[in-house]
Amino acid sequence: MSDTDLDFDPDELAMLRQLFRSEAHDALEAVTARVLATGSAKPTGETLTEMMRVTHTLKGAAGTVGLNVMVELAHRLESAFAALGRETAPWTASTADLIVEVTDGLRGYLDQLAVEPAAAEPLAQRIRDQIDRVARTRDSAPDVTLPPEKSDPPPDRPSLSEMMSPNESLSMPTITELPAPEGLPEPILDIPSTDLGVPEPKSYLRVEPERIDALMSSAGELLFDRTRIERRVQLLRTLARDLARTRQSLRDAIATDTKSKDARSLSDAENELASQATQLSQTTAALLDEIEALRRTIGELQRGLVRIRMESARNLMTHAARTLRALRRATGVRVELRTLGEETEFDKAVAEQLVDPITQLLRNAVAHAIERPEERAARGKPPSATITIRARQDGNLLVLEVSDDGRGVDTAALRDRLVATGRWSQARAQLATDADVLDALGTGVSVRGDADELAGRGIGLDLVRQTIARLGGEVKVISAPGRGTTFSLRLPLSTSLAQAMLFKVGGQVYAIPAVHVSETTIVDANASTATVRQVPVPVLRLESLLGQSTGNERRPGVVVSFAGKTMVCSVDKIVGPREIIIKPLGPLLAPLTLYAAATISGSGKVQLILDPAQLVRRVYPDAHEYQDPTSGPMVLAGRALVVDDSRAIREAMTSMLGREGWIVDVAEDGARALQMTRQLSYDLVVTDLEMPELSGFELIARLRKDQRFATTPIVIITSRANPEHRRRAKDLGVRALVAKPITRRKLLEALAAR
Amino acid sequence: MPELRNVIVFAIGAARYAVELRWVREVVTLGFVTAVPTAHPVLGGVCNLHGTILPVLDVGALLDQPAGPAPRQGDGALVIEADGTLCGLRVDQVDHVASLFEDGGAVVDAAGRPLTLLDPQRLLRRALELVSSAVPA
Repeated sequence: MSDTDLDFDPDELAMLRQLFRSEAHDALEAVTARVLATGSAKPTGETLTEMMRVTHTLKGAAGTVGLNVMVELAHRLESAFAALGRETAPWTASTADLIVEVTDGLRGYLDQLAVEPAAAEPLAQRIRDQIDRVARTRDSAPDVTLPPEKSDPPPDRPSLSEMMSPNESLSMPTITELPAPEGLPEPILDIPSTDLGVPEPKSYLRVEPERIDALMSSAGELLFDRTRIERRVQLLRTLARDLARTRQSLRDAIATDTKSKDARSLSDAENELASQATQLSQTTAALLDEIEALRRTIGELQRGLVRIRMESARNLMTHAARTLRALRRATGVRVELRTLGEETEFDKAVAEQLVDPITQLLRNAVAHAIERPEERAARGKPPSATITIRARQDGNLLVLEVSDDGRGVDTAALRDRLVATGRWSQARAQLATDADVLDALGTGVSVRGDADELAGRGIGLDLVRQTIARLGGEVKVISAPGRGTTFSLRLPLSTSLAQAMLFKVGGQVYAIPAVHVSETTIVDANASTATVRQVPVPVLRLESLLGQSTGNERRPGVVVSFAGKTMVCSVDKIVGPREIIIKPLGPLLAPLTLYAAATISGSGKVQLILDPAQLVRRVYPDAHEYQDPTSGPMVLAGRALVVDDSRAIREAMTSMLGREGWIVDVAEDGARALQMTRQLSYDLVVTDLEMPELSGFELIARLRKDQRFATTPIVIITSRANPEHRRRAKDLGVRALVAKPITRRKLLEALAAR
Repeated sequence: MPELRNVIVFAIGAARYAVELRWVREVVTLGFVTAVPTAHPVLGGVCNLHGTILPVLDVGALLDQPAGPAPRQGDGALVIEADGTLCGLRVDQVDHVASLFEDGGAVVDAAGRPLTLLDPQRLLRRALELVSSAVPA
């Protein structure tokens, strides 16, 4: 059956196969987990039946999407499980290893199939051989006999072999005999799943993790946005205070000048100013309350998203079991894994970060902690060592403990090494408690002087400590000489993690949120622009902004995009993308808008996160509509009068002109405008045409008669501009006629017109 | 001669200062100090204090005197908390907790030596002013 025989168009098929691959990964992981969970004991009939059911489902799904080799492989595996289900079929440690190899192999096969189908076939052949060996183990003598009591099925459930028909063919069909998938002999009887006590699967929404990650990073961005808004509002608050102070001095000035005839009108103005200042403070205070509400909502959003990403410790434990299996095979050390608290839930992002530390701790335990069998026997310990991983929640903390029943840490030897390596003085070593000594473990010292393949020179534990520190947690070591060691990792259940690009400038590491970094590039010597995807973009030399460098050498660059603007920041060295924890800068650093937040490195150093909005503003000075009042004195363009009967337009114009440095007065119609022009002179008049009382043209005509307004620039804003209007406007010396809706660009063009 | 109890006396260079103990959250040895480029010299850098970001300030610059040396890893610092804001003050030496007296308008310690009594609330307000003033265009 070729792809064209299927009922799907190519795109649809590609999508379905991708879905299948994800489903198959989960199914195979479930099989792996079951095998690993039983340790070296034979799984119960129930477990084997479940493994068959999962494999069977996989076979059906593979057929639907036309992956025939997968159908055949799943069928073989299902048959092998059926064979193992026979009571007489033995189960050895190598059976479990083989099954894990097969499930891992199948996942690799599916991934390869998606990338390069031609290269997948050799993988399939290897998997066939492995499955055959799984099935054949029933003929070979067991190399390790297992405690039989563990493999007893629960008494209230029929064992798999009891449910199997004795006549059921368990022989494997050879590939040449293999007919179309639907013709395959079914290795199991059709047993209603309810009989097996398999719970009805809950209905779940399948979402690609990347989508959730994208949402998470958007939510993270909201935090940065909020910080920006908050800063603006704080500025507003400062302005409100300044205004109140100015008013006060005005009042003082008036009070000392009661005789002047202007005093009365000044006093009126002062009163108005007072009420406006009060309004501004009230509005600002209300705005702060609303930002607080926004902060809470963002918090809830993030917590909700984190809950989506919560996963149980099971995946981590399964991974640990697989690691330990590989270690056991590589070293021959006899060790079993015991897991507790698999249901403990925590952030998937945290879980992913824990894989390496757990692997490292297992390696350390196998390489250093577990004694040789004769040593264990002499101490009265069972020949096979046990490593226990226990997960539990302790308040807001996730606690992961990795314990071994090995020799424990020789604190005396560690003390000696701390002194020998010059890290501790003799006096300190004498004063330190055993707990202090254990705390020093993995901060550059190891108990053993020699390194081996598995567990380096204590560097492994350094990495564990660093990873956990970066996650905002800590590592505690508890050791009982001769009885074992426990590494206790305590860390927050979830953290505000964000993806960021890290780079070095002037000897320090900085970060930019990854959502704003598209790629890295090279900035040529003396270049003020760089080419990104065939487009020249401006370069910001971070080494001169943040460092002391004045040179313009060829350097690596980070491509930063914000609000549709792209630029390149040249840096000393790219460190690479990292997951970082966002720490707020606090009120004292808030005025430094260049920095959005900070993070703490694995070694405890503070690293500053640059605000991409500010970086972009430095090379696109016009891009940012808002003129930061702290960024220097604003150039006053003059006093403008805006005349329009729409309040919305008056507000919009006030804001647009305000940003260009105009002091803006408004009037709702021509008559009021005329009244205002009698009191004050204006440097610019912007007027609508159709207004009650006095129309725009009448207003302009009257203004032109006034000496003071004879040549004042006048701009007409209108929703209808016909040739007659244009002619009249020209006669009246109107600078420009702008059609509504008004945009900032149109307005700027009109102001620039001559 | 009015008395002010529970002040912590410390030295920066040749100058001696005191601050009431109630403002001092802890006395620490600074970890790695990250410089904050473009910031006013009053901000010597930022430090990791138990997972939070601690700005380290220069007392000299806060009092409109020349700034002292930039804070470095291993320097001593007083962690001050006032009005919900946390900051570190780099110090050369922390002497002792003492009582202060007023002697003819000057603040002196029990031995009659003059020193400067710092007002953390005012210092933090000044710090915010200075940090805000130096925001580059």
